[in-house]
Amino acid sequence: MRINSLRLQLLAWVVLPLVGLATINLWTSHRNALATADLVTDRMLMGSARAIAERVAVADGVLDATIPPAAIEMFDTGDQDSVYYHVKTAGGRLLTGYPNLPEAPKSSSTEASYRDHRLRLLTFSHTVVGAGNDSPITVTVGVSLAGHDAMVRRLWFGAFAQQLALVAIAGLFVLLGLHRGLAPLIRLRDAVRSPSRSDLDPVEVAGAQNEIRPLIDALNAYMARVRAQMAAQRRFIANAAHQLRTPLALLSTQASYALRETASDQRQEALVALQASSGKLARLAEQLLTLSRAEPGSRRPRADRIDLTEAARHVLEAQAPAAIKRGIDLGLDETGPVPVIGDGTMLREMIVNLVDNALRYTPAGGTVTVKLATLDSQAVLTVCDDGPGIPPEEREHVFERFYRLPGAAEDGSGLGLAIVREVVENAGGSVTLADGAARGLMVEVRLPLAADS
Amino acid sequence: MRLLLVEDNRELADWLSKTLRQASYVVDVVHDGEDVEHALAAGEHALIILDLALPGMSGMEVLKRLRARGNPVPVIVLTANASLDGRVKGLNEGADDYLAKPFQIEELEARIRVQLRRANDRTAPVIACGDLVFDTNTRLFTLGPEPLSLTPREHAVLEQLLVKAGRTVSKAQLSAAIYDFDTDADPSAIEIYVHRLRKKLEGSRVQIATLRGLGYLLRHDDLTP
Repeated sequence: MRINSLRLQLLAWVVLPLVGLATINLWTSHRNALATADLVTDRMLMGSARAIAERVAVADGVLDATIPPAAIEMFDTGDQDSVYYHVKTAGGRLLTGYPNLPEAPKSSSTEASYRDHRLRLLTFSHTVVGAGNDSPITVTVGVSLAGHDAMVRRLWFGAFAQQLALVAIAGLFVLLGLHRGLAPLIRLRDAVRSPSRSDLDPVEVAGAQNEIRPLIDALNAYMARVRAQMAAQRRFIANAAHQLRTPLALLSTQASYALRETASDQRQEALVALQASSGKLARLAEQLLTLSRAEPGSRRPRADRIDLTEAARHVLEAQAPAAIKRGIDLGLDETGPVPVIGDGTMLREMIVNLVDNALRYTPAGGTVTVKLATLDSQAVLTVCDDGPGIPPEEREHVFERFYRLPGAAEDGSGLGLAIVREVVENAGGSVTLADGAARGLMVEVRLPLAADS
Repeated sequence: MRLLLVEDNRELADWLSKTLRQASYVVDVVHDGEDVEHALAAGEHALIILDLALPGMSGMEVLKRLRARGNPVPVIVLTANASLDGRVKGLNEGADDYLAKPFQIEELEARIRVQLRRANDRTAPVIACGDLVFDTNTRLFTLGPEPLSLTPREHAVLEQLLVKAGRTVSKAQLSAAIYDFDTDADPSAIEIYVHRLRKKLEGSRVQIATLRGLGYLLRHDDLTP
């Protein structure tokens, strides 16, 4: 089972090892208690045996063993232990006590069963003066283990209670420490989740530890990026609305003029102009849409394999009537397929914008050439025109949205090159502006060539 | 009435001026803020329609300079920026009215009329002199019960005289008010227009009097003692 709570995880990591250690500790303390109880019992047995042995004496030539009561009573510790003993001569004759009581090996105690009791036994050998062959006598004392076990339990239970208290207190402190340590994290959560936060302001959490600080910083950096993106979006929308206002005013003016004009040819002229204006407005709206689609994140990245040559041919065919109408020599210069990988729709739109720009700024009777080539595993698309060109110091600005060259008379939207750059960079390429061969502008787009399929 | 339209979008400027000319205004167009001063120096404009987004000098700057020179000509500001801030700023800088693009031409015309009326201290939309009546809303003249049919030039001259009825209007003033930049101003042609107007006004109680060396004056019989 996976534990997802940080509290439980940390608690487990602290308490479980502690419990393990405590278990080992309890085991050793049990052994210690057992050893202590053994030692104490053995001492008592020895004391008892000695007391019995010392009362064995020869009286009137007969070996006599009288059991002193103290030797038995010393085992009366309140645990109802039974005490067994016997005194034997060296020859093995029983002087007094229980027959069949097992004997312990010399100078060490042993445990044995006797009359359904487990006994601890000790055998003591004692020389009795004047006993002749009967000396030395052996005294064996055995005691049942109730008192012994009670002592072990008492000794061990104290240790057990201590360990338990230790683990419990450690666990409690871990929880307390976690609660205090996690508090900044909880505050961070509350700060981020707070319904009053809609403005993506940086979050500030007082008392955040060094470990949490990077998380807050990362969060703030992320929000700053989102804020910047939103600001760019807002600027774009404001700009777009702004750019649509003048053409709309134009449409409305032309319509009003046509409505009021009574002379039919002038009315006709206004209607034709109105139609052209609405076409331009549609084109502007289309460009705005293309640009918003070209923005990173607004459209699923596509990796179509498209032939730039064929795409350019389609675009030129579509633009040819407009070029012919203005007497512009629109030509395609190609040597074969130029495959690239990218968003096909956007790449075609990019070419449309390049050609549209070139035609727009080329005077009637001029030349516009679209050239396709491959160079160093790059696809190179160049569009040359006969127009006024763009001064070098303006070449960076013209890629900005809505930027128009100062004094530009033609009715461009200022979006064409912005679209081109956005699309080309999304496809991993680059676009540069240079002087045309004779005059005018040369736009060069370089894209990575698609690998042979 | 001669208006100055300052708008950098050439198409919009073109069609706006055409539409205003339909309504018998004399319209000059400049596309650059820098040209406004020259334009104002070269003619007598009753009103300026000023776009704020201009190349060269911004519309706001044009307005500021205009007012700094003490020029009281009414200014209607046109802008694609419809924010409250922008409107307030424009009005604070001395604009008389503010119109956000896109606008309906009817609204622009209505606001032009309001400004012209205010500039001439009038409150009624109708200017009358004897039985000659000019309705500033329809921009049509009527003489008695009949509409008066005029060419654009005659219209401009008569409107100028009517607005200043009872006061002398010099030939130069007339010329500055009725010719736009595209026309070679020809002061002698004024006499022709006045002559034609007198013919059209024959039989009415309104007369255009010539004050030699001074100019013309529109008056009606009721005023003569």
